Parts: sequence; structure tokens; C-alpha cells
Amino acid sequence: MNSQHSSSRPNSSSLKSRFTLGFLRALKRLNRQPSSSSSPPQTVSSPREMCRRYLRIRIAADASMASAVGSRRAWSRALLLKIRSRQSRSSNSSARRVSMKKKCLGEKIKKKKKLKCCKEINKLRKFVPGGEAMDACSLLDEAAHYIRCLNTQVKVMTRIADN
Amino acid sequence: MNSLLNPQTPFDSSAHDDFLEQMLSTLGPSSCSSWADETPTAPPSAGNSDNNVVFSYDDSSNLASKFRSHQISAGAAASKSSPTASAAAAAAMMLQHQLMMSRGGSSSSGNGAPMGLSLGSNGDFNDVGDGSSFKSPNPGGGDGGSSVQALFNGFTGSLSPNQPQHFHHPQGGALQAQNYGAQAAAMTQPPANGSAGASAAQPRPRVRARRGQATDPHSIAERLRRERIAERMKALQELVPNANKTDKASMLDEIIDYVKFLQLQVKVLSMSRLGGAGAVAPLVTESSEGGGDCIQTSANGGTRGGRSGNQTASSNDSMTVTEHQVAKLMEEDMGSAMQYLQGKGLCLMPISLATAISTATCHPRNPLMNGNSNNNHPVITSNGGEGPSSPSMSALTDY
Repeated sequence: MNSQHSSSRPNSSSLKSRFTLGFLRALKRLNRQPSSSSSPPQTVSSPREMCRRYLRIRIAADASMASAVGSRRAWSRALLLKIRSRQSRSSNSSARRVSMKKKCLGEKIKKKKKLKCCKEINKLRKFVPGGEAMDACSLLDEAAHYIRCLNTQVKVMTRIADN
Repeated sequence: MNSLLNPQTPFDSSAHDDFLEQMLSTLGPSSCSSWADETPTAPPSAGNSDNNVVFSYDDSSNLASKFRSHQISAGAAASKSSPTASAAAAAAMMLQHQLMMSRGGSSSSGNGAPMGLSLGSNGDFNDVGDGSSFKSPNPGGGDGGSSVQALFNGFTGSLSPNQPQHFHHPQGGALQAQNYGAQAAAMTQPPANGSAGASAAQPRPRVRARRGQATDPHSIAERLRRERIAERMKALQELVPNANKTDKASMLDEIIDYVKFLQLQVKVLSMSRLGGAGAVAPLVTESSEGGGDCIQTSANGGTRGGRSGNQTASSNDSMTVTEHQVAKLMEEDMGSAMQYLQGKGLCLMPISLATAISTATCHPRNPLMNGNSNNNHPVITSNGGEGPSSPSMSALTDY
């Protein structure tokens, strides 16, 4: 555990700083957008506006987190892929193809692994991005790293929110 | 007995007899060896003892079959015709029979030698990792012996830490059945050391026994995979706060819940970012239309919220941020909103109740509370026992 910590500490500190920078940059970009947030209340559209803005912020957070991690981890790759495909969903059909491919691959692997793994591991797949196409061992590994990164994300965001 | 032996009819060949006898004789007092003599042939109808044995065996058969199938069928499936594997299976069953017999026998006759035997053999395996004590009686046991050792290790490894005291009080087959039932239940959730020891002991004697069977690559790969999974589970356990669960399934549930919780936190925090924008109050009053009498002042709150929106951004930031987050959550899902509130140690109450409480407790705070309720839009939250964090909170902390 000590070795893990020593190896992860330089990583996490730089990960934290990387994520913070990316997230702040994304926030600035979002705030600069001409939004109706400061205008007098719009009764009908404001919930949807706020919802959209919230979604954009969350996507920005996830994207900055994933890019801070880089492509080293399967879950960050899957997360970035999902975000980018979602953004280009309206324009391209390639995104659909990509998601279909992933689905097929995921199903094949799921069939194989369902026999071996217990139900809880399959439940875990839903929460870890890209967890569909992983076997139990790597899934647990990715889950550990994902939890660590989520912790970092939450810490940074609470600090930002409290200021 | 015939019914018990039926599944092993292919094993009843005389070629295995000497092996079996050797195994059983090394373990046994005369009764056991005599029983071993009987088993290859048609066993005599031993009347009551048979019935006892049959009765208690039925309950433990599930338990034993768990281990047996786990250990032997993995090997036997790959090479069904291998004599030592079948001998191992037969030997395992014989040993279990013998255990059954010894316990059944003692049930009728009190703490006899058979009981002492099983105790002694179990006592040897209290240190689960030590299979060498079993090895010595079976120098010629070889591969078959190793599987039996492993089986026995696993069997007693889980039995001994859990209920060694039950062995001292045999009170007929009923108690034996209860023991096995309880042990079967305990088997699914063994203590961490026990399970780790048992699972580690099961593969370890295999390595030491140098099984050169063709079935080994399978089991070795399986074992490696299991070990890797166990390693990762331990690493995850350290990350997740509630790491006191020993069962793999409940640990995974904890992990899943923790991931869900973290994702929810990110969601909420990204909502709170919007709270800083200051335009949340009108939205919030808008979003809370679905409530019950929580919405009394929603109309008023709407207009006044717009006016005091700027104030909220500057003052009482944490409280309004919380309120806005709760409002957002309520818009999506009441459950998550409640969870969020509970996590903060707050509770929701209808405005009528809150006004009643505050008016009942202290009058002078009323104007403050009124001004506050407009900011809060109809939700009023009160700290559960904490002191007021801000002047606006004071009206609400009389909970």
C-alpha cells in the first residue's frame, strides 16, 4: 500500500493540477457563452436551460478529468470516446457506428464473462465507463483508478464551489 | 450405504481398495478401519447407525459436494479416466463418510474415540496452511492424497475456525444437521482470515504436492486468476471507506454504492456551479411545483426570489447552494434529493410545520424566517443539531 501511495502521489498531484486547469478552462469557456443566466427569470425555458447548462458542466468535468488522465486508462479512453461521439452524434453517423461496434463487442465479451463472473461484477460494469468490454480483473483495476480520480474530481469541485 | 455409494460405482473396483484402506487405516481407530473393510464390499445393514449416518450425510452432502465439485470435478472433468483422480474422489468421499460415521457414532455413544479422531485430525488443520501433517500418514497417497488433503484442509479450515465447539457436543443427527446447516451458511461468509486461509490453503498444497496432471494448467490458470482478482479486491477495499466487509459480494456492493455516491456528488457539485450564477431561485421555485404543501409560497417566492437573487449569491452561500442543489435534485429524482439531504444531516419539512415550530419557539425570529423562506423558495431545511452557521440559519435551527 505504501508503494502504491508513493507511486500514485506524484501522479495524483499532477493529475489534480491537470484536472483543475482543464476544468477551470472549460468553466471559463462555458461562462463566456451568452447565456440567460444573469437575465431576469424566464419562467418556461429556464429549467431546461439550467438543465442543459448543468449537463454541459458535468460533461466538461468528466472530459477534463478523462483528458487529465490521458489515454493510459481504458475507462478514460471510453469516457472520451463517449463524450466525443455524443457531441458529434447529430452530425455524423460514424458515431453511431462506433457505438454499435462497441455494443457488439461488449455483448460478445459479456456473454463469455457472464458465465464466469458473479452478478455484482456485472453491475459494476455499468458504473465504470467502458466497463462493458473488460474482464473481471481489469475491471477491478479500472474501478480502483476510477474511484481515485472521482475522489480527486470531487475534491477539486468542492473547492471551486466553495470559493 | 448402498445409496451413498451408488454415485461411485465406477470407483468400487478392487484396484483402489488397497489405496483406500491405506488412507483410512492411517486415520483410523479400529472402527474406522473395519468400516473401511466393509465399504468395498456390500456394506452390512448396520441399522440405526446407518440411518443416522444417512440422515446427517444428506445435509452435509450439499456442503461436501460444494468442495468436491470445486476441487475434483475441475480435475476430473478434464481427465475422467485418470485413476488417481477417481481414487481421489473416492478417497474424498470415503473420508467424508468416515467423518460422518465418526460423528454419527459418537452421537450414539458419547465422546468416543472416533470423535477424538476427528477432533484430532481437525485440530491438526487448525493451522490451515499446514498440510504436511496430513502428508506423513499418506506417503504413498501421492496425487490422490493431495487432493484429499486439500479437500480436508478446505473442509476443516472452514469448519474449525467457525464452530470447533460443536464437535464437543454431539447430540444426535439433528445437531449435526444444524451444524452443517450453520456451517454451510457460514461457509458463504467465512471470516476474512478463514476464507483467505482456506482459499490459500486449497491451492497451496496442490503446488506442494507437485501434481503433474494434465488438468493442472486449467486449475493453475484458474488459481492465478482468482489470486489476481483477490489482489484487486484488496486494493479496492483500501480505497472504499467501508472496508469492514469480508464477503466478496458485499464488498462489491459497497464498491458499487461508493461509485454511485461519487458520481452523484459530481452531479450535485456541477449543479452547484450554477448556483453561483444567481439565477437559480426562480428556477427553483419553478421546479418545485410538484410538491405538496411545500409550495405554499412558491408564487411569492418567485417574485421575491428574483429580487433577492443577487443577495443569495453573495450571502449565505453554502446554505443557498445546498438549497439549490436540493431543488435541482428534486426536479430529477426525489430519492437522490433525500439522500443528499440526509448526507448533509438536514431534513425537509413543509413550510407550515416550520412556521409552526418557529413561531412556537421564538417570535422575534419570524421576520428573519420569512425573508429566508423567500430565498429558499419553499424548501426549508434545518440543521440536525448543529449550531447556526449563519444568521439566516438561526431561524431554522430550532429543530
